[in-house]
Amino acid sequence: MSESQEPGFAAQESVEVLLRLEQAIDSSLSSVIVDTETSAQSIIQHVRRLHDSASTLASYLDGTSLKTGDLGKEIDESVIFIVNIGEFIEQLPAKMERDLAAVQAVVAEINTLSELTSDVRAISLQSHILGINAAIEAARAGTAGSAFKVVADEMRMLAGNSGAMAVRINAGLSRAKQIVESGLQSTIAESSLQLAEVTKAAASIHKLRDNLNDMSQYYKTRFAVVIKHNEDLVKDIAAALGQIQYQDVVRQCIERIRAVSGRRNDALCALLGSSGEDPGAVAELPLQLELILGDYVAEENNHGHSERQTSGAPLKLELF
Amino acid sequence: MAKTIMIVDDSSTMLMSLRNSLEIAGFNVLEANDGSVALRNLQAGAKPDLIITDINMPNMGGIELIGKARALPGLRFIPILALTTESQQGKRDEAKKLGATGWLLKPVSGADLSKIIKQVLPGA
Repeated sequence: MSESQEPGFAAQESVEVLLRLEQAIDSSLSSVIVDTETSAQSIIQHVRRLHDSASTLASYLDGTSLKTGDLGKEIDESVIFIVNIGEFIEQLPAKMERDLAAVQAVVAEINTLSELTSDVRAISLQSHILGINAAIEAARAGTAGSAFKVVADEMRMLAGNSGAMAVRINAGLSRAKQIVESGLQSTIAESSLQLAEVTKAAASIHKLRDNLNDMSQYYKTRFAVVIKHNEDLVKDIAAALGQIQYQDVVRQCIERIRAVSGRRNDALCALLGSSGEDPGAVAELPLQLELILGDYVAEENNHGHSERQTSGAPLKLELF
Repeated sequence: MAKTIMIVDDSSTMLMSLRNSLEIAGFNVLEANDGSVALRNLQAGAKPDLIITDINMPNMGGIELIGKARALPGLRFIPILALTTESQQGKRDEAKKLGATGWLLKPVSGADLSKIIKQVLPGA
Protein backbone atom coordinates (compact mmCIF):
# COMPACT_ATOMS: atom_id res chain seq x y z
CA MET A 1 0.00 0.00 0.00
CA SER A 2 1.53 3.34 -1.10
CA GLU A 3 1.66 6.36 1.22
CA SER A 4 -1.08 8.16 -0.67
CA GLN A 5 -3.36 5.20 -0.25
CA GLU A 6 -3.01 5.10 3.55
CA PRO A 7 -6.15 6.18 5.56
CA GLY A 8 -4.16 8.67 7.67
CA PHE A 9 -2.90 10.43 4.55
CA ALA A 10 -6.40 10.67 3.09
CA ALA A 11 -7.69 12.18 6.33
CA GLN A 12 -4.84 14.70 6.34
CA GLU A 13 -5.52 15.62 2.75
CA SER A 14 -9.22 16.01 3.52
CA VAL A 15 -8.47 18.34 6.41
CA GLU A 16 -6.21 20.45 4.18
CA VAL A 17 -8.96 20.76 1.56
CA LEU A 18 -11.45 21.55 4.31
CA LEU A 19 -9.23 24.35 5.61
CA ARG A 20 -8.87 25.81 2.12
CA LEU A 21 -12.65 25.64 1.77
CA GLU A 22 -13.01 27.39 5.11
CA GLN A 23 -10.60 30.10 3.94
CA ALA A 24 -12.65 30.63 0.81
CA ILE A 25 -15.86 30.81 2.86
CA ASP A 26 -14.28 33.22 5.31
CA SER A 27 -13.15 35.43 2.47
CA SER A 28 -16.69 35.39 1.04
CA LEU A 29 -18.18 36.22 4.44
CA SER A 30 -15.75 39.10 4.77
CA SER A 31 -16.86 40.38 1.37
CA VAL A 32 -20.50 39.96 2.39
CA ILE A 33 -19.91 42.18 5.41
CA VAL A 34 -18.26 44.89 3.30
CA ASP A 35 -20.86 44.66 0.53
CA THR A 36 -23.87 44.74 2.87
CA GLU A 37 -22.32 47.63 4.78
CA THR A 38 -21.77 49.60 1.58
CA SER A 39 -25.26 48.77 0.38
CA ALA A 40 -26.86 49.63 3.74
CA GLN A 41 -25.11 52.99 3.83
CA SER A 42 -26.15 53.72 0.28
CA ILE A 43 -29.75 52.88 1.22
CA ILE A 44 -29.50 55.23 4.21
CA GLN A 45 -28.28 58.03 1.94
CA HIS A 46 -31.15 57.41 -0.50
CA VAL A 47 -33.68 57.25 2.32
CA ARG A 48 -32.33 60.48 3.76
CA ARG A 49 -32.61 62.20 0.37
CA LEU A 50 -36.15 60.85 0.13
CA HIS A 51 -36.90 62.36 3.53
CA ASP A 52 -35.35 65.69 2.54
CA SER A 53 -37.44 65.73 -0.66
CA ALA A 54 -40.56 64.91 1.35
CA SER A 55 -39.72 67.73 3.78
CA THR A 56 -39.20 70.16 0.90
CA LEU A 57 -42.53 69.08 -0.58
CA ALA A 58 -44.23 69.53 2.81
CA SER A 59 -42.61 72.95 3.13
CA TYR A 60 -43.87 73.99 -0.34
CA LEU A 61 -47.33 72.70 0.50
CA ASP A 62 -47.34 74.64 3.78
CA GLY A 63 -46.30 77.79 1.93
CA THR A 64 -48.85 77.22 -0.81
CA SER A 65 -51.55 76.49 1.76
CA LEU A 66 -50.74 79.72 3.60
CA LYS A 67 -50.72 81.76 0.38
CA THR A 68 -53.96 80.13 -0.73
CA GLY A 69 -55.45 80.95 2.67
CA ASP A 70 -54.40 84.59 2.34
CA LEU A 71 -55.71 84.72 -1.22
CA GLY A 72 -58.95 83.11 -0.06
CA LYS A 73 -59.34 85.75 2.64
CA GLU A 74 -58.77 88.55 0.10
CA ILE A 75 -61.28 86.96 -2.27
CA ASP A 76 -63.78 86.56 0.57
CA GLU A 77 -63.38 90.23 1.47
CA SER A 78 -63.78 91.26 -2.17
CA VAL A 79 -66.82 89.04 -2.55
CA ILE A 80 -68.39 90.53 0.59
CA PHE A 81 -67.75 94.00 -0.86
CA ILE A 82 -69.28 93.04 -4.20
CA VAL A 83 -72.21 91.33 -2.51
CA ASN A 84 -72.83 94.50 -0.47
CA ILE A 85 -72.87 96.50 -3.70
CA GLY A 86 -75.18 93.92 -5.24
CA GLU A 87 -77.54 94.14 -2.27
CA PHE A 88 -77.52 97.94 -2.57
CA ILE A 89 -78.31 97.65 -6.26
CA GLU A 90 -81.05 95.15 -5.51
CA GLN A 91 -82.66 97.72 -3.23
CA LEU A 92 -82.51 100.40 -5.93
CA PRO A 93 -85.99 99.61 -7.46
CA ALA A 94 -87.69 100.27 -4.13
CA LYS A 95 -85.61 103.42 -3.71
CA MET A 96 -86.52 104.55 -7.20
CA GLU A 97 -90.18 103.91 -6.45
CA ARG A 98 -89.88 106.20 -3.46
CA ASP A 99 -88.02 108.81 -5.54
CA LEU A 100 -90.70 108.54 -8.23
CA ALA A 101 -93.43 109.14 -5.68
CA ALA A 102 -91.51 112.18 -4.42
CA VAL A 103 -91.11 113.55 -7.96
CA GLN A 104 -94.80 112.93 -8.66
CA ALA A 105 -95.58 114.89 -5.49
CA VAL A 106 -93.41 117.72 -6.83
CA VAL A 107 -95.32 117.63 -10.15
CA ALA A 108 -98.60 117.76 -8.24
CA GLU A 109 -97.30 120.74 -6.30
CA ILE A 110 -96.31 122.42 -9.59
CA ASN A 111 -99.84 121.84 -10.90
CA THR A 112 -101.23 123.49 -7.74
CA LEU A 113 -98.89 126.44 -8.22
CA SER A 114 -99.94 126.66 -11.87
CA GLU A 115 -103.57 126.90 -10.77
CA LEU A 116 -102.58 129.72 -8.38
CA THR A 117 -101.10 131.74 -11.28
CA SER A 118 -104.53 131.59 -12.97
CA ASP A 119 -106.00 133.18 -9.85
CA VAL A 120 -103.29 135.81 -9.92
CA ARG A 121 -104.08 136.56 -13.58
CA ALA A 122 -107.82 136.90 -12.74
CA ILE A 123 -107.02 139.29 -9.88
CA SER A 124 -104.78 141.25 -12.23
CA LEU A 125 -107.58 141.52 -14.81
CA GLN A 126 -110.06 142.68 -12.18
CA SER A 127 -107.50 145.24 -10.95
CA HIS A 128 -107.00 146.49 -14.50
CA ILE A 129 -110.77 146.93 -14.99
CA LEU A 130 -110.95 148.63 -11.66
CA GLY A 131 -108.13 150.97 -12.74
CA ILE A 132 -110.00 151.84 -16.00
CA ASN A 133 -113.17 152.58 -14.06
CA ALA A 134 -111.21 154.73 -11.63
CA ALA A 135 -109.64 156.66 -14.55
CA ILE A 136 -113.10 157.27 -16.05
CA GLU A 137 -114.38 158.58 -12.74
CA ALA A 138 -111.28 160.77 -12.33
CA ALA A 139 -111.88 162.33 -15.79
CA ARG A 140 -115.46 163.14 -14.81
CA ALA A 141 -114.29 164.85 -11.67
CA GLY A 142 -112.10 167.18 -13.76
CA THR A 143 -109.25 168.98 -11.99
CA ALA A 144 -110.38 167.62 -8.64
CA GLY A 145 -109.88 164.07 -9.89
CA SER A 146 -106.38 164.65 -11.32
CA ALA A 147 -104.69 163.10 -8.28
CA PHE A 148 -107.06 160.19 -8.32
CA LYS A 149 -106.24 159.70 -12.03
CA VAL A 150 -102.56 159.18 -11.10
CA VAL A 151 -103.55 156.45 -8.63
CA ALA A 152 -105.83 154.86 -11.21
CA ASP A 153 -102.98 154.81 -13.81
CA GLU A 154 -100.56 153.28 -11.30
CA MET A 155 -103.16 150.69 -10.43
CA ARG A 156 -103.62 149.73 -14.09
CA MET A 157 -99.85 149.51 -14.59
CA LEU A 158 -99.54 147.31 -11.48
CA ALA A 159 -102.35 145.10 -12.72
CA GLY A 160 -100.59 144.80 -16.07
CA ASN A 161 -97.25 143.94 -14.45
CA SER A 162 -98.74 141.35 -12.10
CA GLY A 163 -100.60 139.78 -15.01
CA ALA A 164 -97.41 139.59 -17.07
CA MET A 165 -95.57 138.15 -14.05
CA ALA A 166 -98.26 135.50 -13.56
CA VAL A 167 -97.92 134.50 -17.23
CA ARG A 168 -94.14 134.18 -16.86
CA ILE A 169 -94.46 132.16 -13.64
CA ASN A 170 -96.94 129.83 -15.31
CA ALA A 171 -94.66 129.39 -18.31
CA GLY A 172 -91.73 128.62 -15.97
CA LEU A 173 -93.78 126.12 -14.01
CA SER A 174 -94.91 124.43 -17.26
CA ARG A 175 -91.30 124.12 -18.40
CA ALA A 176 -90.24 122.73 -15.00
CA LYS A 177 -93.07 120.24 -15.07
CA GLN A 178 -92.17 119.17 -18.60
CA ILE A 179 -88.50 118.73 -17.64
CA VAL A 180 -89.31 116.69 -14.53
CA GLU A 181 -91.86 114.53 -16.30
CA SER A 182 -89.68 113.81 -19.36
CA GLY A 183 -86.64 113.10 -17.07
CA LEU A 184 -88.74 110.77 -14.96
CA GLN A 185 -90.01 108.85 -17.98
CA SER A 186 -86.53 108.33 -19.39
CA THR A 187 -85.18 107.31 -15.95
CA ILE A 188 -87.96 104.75 -15.51
CA ALA A 189 -87.34 103.36 -19.00
CA GLU A 190 -83.56 103.09 -18.51
CA SER A 191 -83.85 101.77 -14.95
CA SER A 192 -86.06 98.86 -15.90
CA LEU A 193 -83.34 97.66 -18.29
CA GLN A 194 -80.52 98.32 -15.81
CA LEU A 195 -82.39 96.59 -13.02
CA ALA A 196 -82.64 93.41 -15.08
CA GLU A 197 -78.84 93.55 -15.59
CA VAL A 198 -78.30 94.22 -11.88
CA THR A 199 -80.37 91.19 -10.95
CA LYS A 200 -78.25 89.07 -13.30
CA ALA A 201 -75.03 90.54 -11.86
CA ALA A 202 -76.13 89.85 -8.28
CA ALA A 203 -76.92 86.21 -9.18
CA SER A 204 -73.49 85.91 -10.86
CA ILE A 205 -71.77 87.30 -7.77
CA HIS A 206 -73.50 84.77 -5.52
CA LYS A 207 -72.58 81.96 -7.92
CA LEU A 208 -68.98 83.19 -8.02
CA ARG A 209 -68.80 83.14 -4.23
CA ASP A 210 -70.24 79.61 -4.10
CA ASN A 211 -67.74 78.43 -6.73
CA LEU A 212 -64.88 79.99 -4.80
CA ASN A 213 -66.00 78.28 -1.60
CA ASP A 214 -66.25 74.93 -3.43
CA MET A 215 -62.81 75.39 -4.99
CA SER A 216 -61.28 76.42 -1.66
CA GLN A 217 -62.76 73.35 0.05
CA TYR A 218 -61.51 71.11 -2.78
CA TYR A 219 -57.94 72.35 -2.40
CA LYS A 220 -58.07 72.16 1.39
CA THR A 221 -59.07 68.50 1.10
CA ARG A 222 -56.31 67.86 -1.43
CA PHE A 223 -53.72 69.54 0.81
CA ALA A 224 -54.89 67.47 3.78
CA VAL A 225 -54.56 64.24 1.78
CA VAL A 226 -51.07 65.11 0.49
CA ILE A 227 -49.92 66.14 3.98
CA LYS A 228 -51.23 62.85 5.41
CA HIS A 229 -49.32 60.88 2.74
CA ASN A 230 -46.23 62.91 3.54
CA GLU A 231 -46.54 62.11 7.26
CA ASP A 232 -46.90 58.41 6.43
CA LEU A 233 -43.82 58.67 4.22
CA VAL A 234 -41.80 60.22 7.06
CA LYS A 235 -42.94 57.41 9.41
CA ASP A 236 -41.93 54.77 6.87
CA ILE A 237 -38.56 56.47 6.37
CA ALA A 238 -37.95 56.39 10.14
CA ALA A 239 -38.91 52.69 10.18
CA ALA A 240 -36.61 51.97 7.22
CA LEU A 241 -33.70 53.66 8.98
CA GLY A 242 -34.30 51.36 11.94
CA GLN A 243 -34.57 48.21 9.83
CA ILE A 244 -31.28 48.96 8.08
CA GLN A 245 -29.57 48.47 11.46
CA TYR A 246 -30.03 44.72 10.87
CA GLN A 247 -26.93 44.98 8.74
CA ASP A 248 -24.97 45.53 11.96
CA VAL A 249 -26.83 42.70 13.72
CA VAL A 250 -26.01 40.36 10.82
CA ARG A 251 -22.42 41.63 10.65
CA GLN A 252 -21.89 40.77 14.30
CA CYS A 253 -23.47 37.35 13.77
CA ILE A 254 -21.10 36.68 10.86
CA GLU A 255 -18.16 37.92 12.92
CA ARG A 256 -19.04 35.39 15.62
CA ILE A 257 -19.33 32.63 13.01
CA ARG A 258 -15.94 33.61 11.60
CA ALA A 259 -14.44 33.63 15.09
CA VAL A 260 -15.74 30.19 15.96
CA SER A 261 -14.70 28.87 12.54
CA GLY A 262 -11.23 30.25 13.19
CA ARG A 263 -11.00 28.42 16.50
CA ARG A 264 -12.20 25.19 14.89
CA ASN A 265 -9.69 25.60 12.06
CA ASP A 266 -6.91 26.18 14.59
CA ALA A 267 -7.84 22.91 16.26
CA LEU A 268 -7.81 21.15 12.89
CA CYS A 269 -4.48 22.80 11.99
CA ALA A 270 -2.98 21.51 15.22
CA LEU A 271 -4.14 18.03 14.29
CA LEU A 272 -2.67 18.52 10.84
CA GLY A 273 0.63 19.59 12.41
CA SER A 274 0.87 16.34 14.24
CA SER A 275 0.18 14.63 10.87
CA GLY A 276 -2.17 12.30 12.67
CA GLU A 277 0.78 10.67 14.21
CA ASP A 278 -0.03 11.90 17.73
CA PRO A 279 -2.83 9.73 19.05
CA GLY A 280 -3.28 12.17 21.97
CA ALA A 281 -4.00 15.10 19.65
CA VAL A 282 -6.56 13.07 17.76
CA ALA A 283 -8.23 12.01 20.96
CA GLU A 284 -8.41 15.61 22.24
CA LEU A 285 -10.07 16.91 19.10
CA PRO A 286 -13.68 15.98 19.96
CA LEU A 287 -13.26 17.56 23.38
CA GLN A 288 -11.85 20.75 21.88
CA LEU A 289 -14.67 20.89 19.34
CA GLU A 290 -17.23 20.37 22.12
CA LEU A 291 -15.65 23.24 24.02
CA ILE A 292 -15.76 25.49 20.93
CA LEU A 293 -19.39 24.49 20.30
CA GLY A 294 -20.33 25.26 23.92
CA ASP A 295 -18.66 28.66 23.75
CA TYR A 296 -20.35 29.47 20.45
CA VAL A 297 -23.82 28.50 21.69
CA ALA A 298 -23.28 30.51 24.88
CA GLU A 299 -22.08 33.53 22.88
CA GLU A 300 -25.08 33.31 20.57
CA ASN A 301 -27.39 33.10 23.57
CA ASN A 302 -25.82 36.26 24.91
CA HIS A 303 -26.79 38.13 21.76
CA GLY A 304 -30.16 38.94 20.41
CA HIS A 305 -32.07 41.62 18.66
CA SER A 306 -35.20 43.55 19.35
CA GLU A 307 -37.40 41.72 16.85
CA ARG A 308 -36.51 38.23 18.13
CA GLN A 309 -37.66 38.37 21.73
CA THR A 310 -38.51 35.11 23.47
CA SER A 311 -40.54 34.81 26.63
CA GLY A 312 -37.52 34.38 28.88
CA ALA A 313 -35.36 36.97 27.10
CA PRO A 314 -34.59 40.39 28.55
CA LEU A 315 -36.84 43.24 27.50
CA LYS A 316 -36.21 45.24 24.33
CA LEU A 317 -35.87 48.32 26.50
CA GLU A 318 -34.97 48.18 30.14
CA LEU A 319 -34.71 51.41 32.06
CA PHE A 320 -32.60 51.10 35.19
CA MET B 1 -33.06 74.75 21.46
CA ALA B 2 -32.34 71.33 19.99
CA LYS B 3 -30.81 68.77 22.34
CA THR B 4 -27.48 67.17 21.48
CA ILE B 5 -27.04 63.42 21.45
CA MET B 6 -23.70 61.59 21.30
CA ILE B 7 -23.80 58.25 19.48
CA VAL B 8 -20.98 55.73 19.95
CA ASP B 9 -20.70 52.65 17.76
CA ASP B 10 -17.96 50.89 15.78
CA SER B 11 -20.41 50.17 12.96
CA SER B 12 -20.51 52.96 10.41
CA THR B 13 -23.94 51.69 9.30
CA MET B 14 -25.27 52.11 12.85
CA LEU B 15 -23.76 55.59 13.11
CA MET B 16 -25.33 56.62 9.80
CA SER B 17 -28.70 55.13 10.67
CA LEU B 18 -28.80 56.73 14.13
CA ARG B 19 -27.49 60.09 12.91
CA ASN B 20 -30.17 60.33 10.21
CA SER B 21 -32.97 59.14 12.53
CA LEU B 22 -31.96 61.64 15.21
CA GLU B 23 -31.46 64.54 12.81
CA ILE B 24 -34.87 63.90 11.27
CA ALA B 25 -36.30 63.96 14.81
CA GLY B 26 -34.66 67.37 15.30
CA PHE B 27 -31.61 66.55 17.43
CA ASN B 28 -28.00 67.63 17.04
CA VAL B 29 -25.67 64.65 16.77
CA LEU B 30 -22.08 63.96 17.88
CA GLU B 31 -20.43 60.76 16.64
CA ALA B 32 -17.66 58.52 17.95
CA ASN B 33 -16.64 55.15 16.49
CA ASP B 34 -15.53 53.64 19.78
CA GLY B 35 -15.47 54.30 23.51
CA SER B 36 -11.99 55.84 23.59
CA VAL B 37 -12.87 58.45 20.92
CA ALA B 38 -16.07 59.28 22.78
CA LEU B 39 -14.23 59.66 26.06
CA ARG B 40 -11.61 61.93 24.47
CA ASN B 41 -14.38 64.15 23.06
CA LEU B 42 -16.09 64.30 26.44
CA GLN B 43 -12.81 65.14 28.15
CA ALA B 44 -12.26 67.86 25.54
CA GLY B 45 -15.52 69.52 26.60
CA ALA B 46 -18.27 67.95 24.49
CA LYS B 47 -21.52 68.37 26.44
CA PRO B 48 -24.19 66.06 25.03
CA ASP B 49 -27.61 65.91 26.66
CA LEU B 50 -27.72 62.14 26.12
CA ILE B 51 -25.22 59.41 25.20
CA ILE B 52 -26.25 56.31 23.24
CA THR B 53 -23.46 53.74 23.17
CA ASP B 54 -22.84 50.28 21.77
CA ILE B 55 -21.35 47.79 24.23
CA ASN B 56 -18.95 45.60 22.25
CA MET B 57 -16.44 47.86 20.51
CA PRO B 58 -12.68 47.74 19.85
CA ASN B 59 -10.25 49.82 21.98
CA MET B 60 -12.85 50.73 24.60
CA GLY B 61 -16.24 49.09 25.03
CA GLY B 62 -19.45 50.74 26.13
CA ILE B 63 -19.37 49.53 29.74
CA GLU B 64 -15.91 51.00 30.31
CA LEU B 65 -17.03 54.24 28.63
CA ILE B 66 -20.05 54.50 30.94
CA GLY B 67 -17.86 54.12 34.03
CA LYS B 68 -15.26 56.65 32.86
CA ALA B 69 -17.83 59.16 31.56
CA ARG B 70 -19.66 59.16 34.90
CA ALA B 71 -16.43 60.19 36.59
CA LEU B 72 -16.13 63.32 34.43
CA PRO B 73 -17.41 66.63 35.77
CA GLY B 74 -20.85 67.54 34.45
CA LEU B 75 -21.61 64.03 33.21
CA ARG B 76 -22.76 62.49 36.46
CA PHE B 77 -26.45 62.81 35.75
CA ILE B 78 -26.88 62.91 31.96
CA PRO B 79 -28.73 59.85 30.66
CA ILE B 80 -26.63 57.12 29.03
CA LEU B 81 -28.35 54.38 27.05
CA ALA B 82 -26.70 51.16 25.87
CA LEU B 83 -27.80 50.15 22.36
CA THR B 84 -26.50 46.69 21.56
CA THR B 85 -27.17 43.13 20.46
CA GLU B 86 -25.60 42.01 23.75
CA SER B 87 -28.22 40.58 26.08
CA GLN B 88 -26.11 38.97 28.80
CA GLN B 89 -27.66 39.81 32.17
CA GLY B 90 -24.21 40.08 33.78
CA LYS B 91 -23.24 42.91 31.39
CA ARG B 92 -26.55 44.67 31.97
CA ASP B 93 -25.97 44.52 35.71
CA GLU B 94 -22.45 45.85 35.31
CA ALA B 95 -23.63 48.73 33.11
CA LYS B 96 -26.39 49.56 35.59
CA LYS B 97 -23.89 49.52 38.46
CA LEU B 98 -21.61 51.92 36.57
CA GLY B 99 -24.46 54.37 35.96
CA ALA B 100 -26.19 53.44 32.69
CA THR B 101 -29.74 54.77 32.43
CA GLY B 102 -31.14 51.98 30.27
CA TRP B 103 -30.43 49.04 27.98
CA LEU B 104 -31.84 48.84 24.50
CA LEU B 105 -31.59 46.06 21.93
CA LYS B 106 -30.72 46.73 18.29
CA PRO B 107 -32.26 47.55 15.95
CA VAL B 108 -34.38 50.51 16.95
CA SER B 109 -36.66 52.50 14.64
CA GLY B 110 -36.64 56.28 14.54
CA ALA B 111 -40.14 56.39 16.05
CA ASP B 112 -39.20 54.06 18.95
CA LEU B 113 -35.97 55.95 19.51
CA SER B 114 -37.84 59.26 19.75
CA LYS B 115 -40.25 57.80 22.32
CA ILE B 116 -37.41 56.37 24.39
CA ILE B 117 -35.48 59.65 24.26
CA LYS B 118 -38.58 61.52 25.50
CA GLN B 119 -38.72 59.08 28.42
CA VAL B 120 -35.13 59.61 29.53
CA LEU B 121 -34.71 63.22 28.39
CA PRO B 122 -37.65 65.33 29.56
CA GLY B 123 -38.33 68.29 27.30
CA ALA B 124 -36.73 66.65 24.25
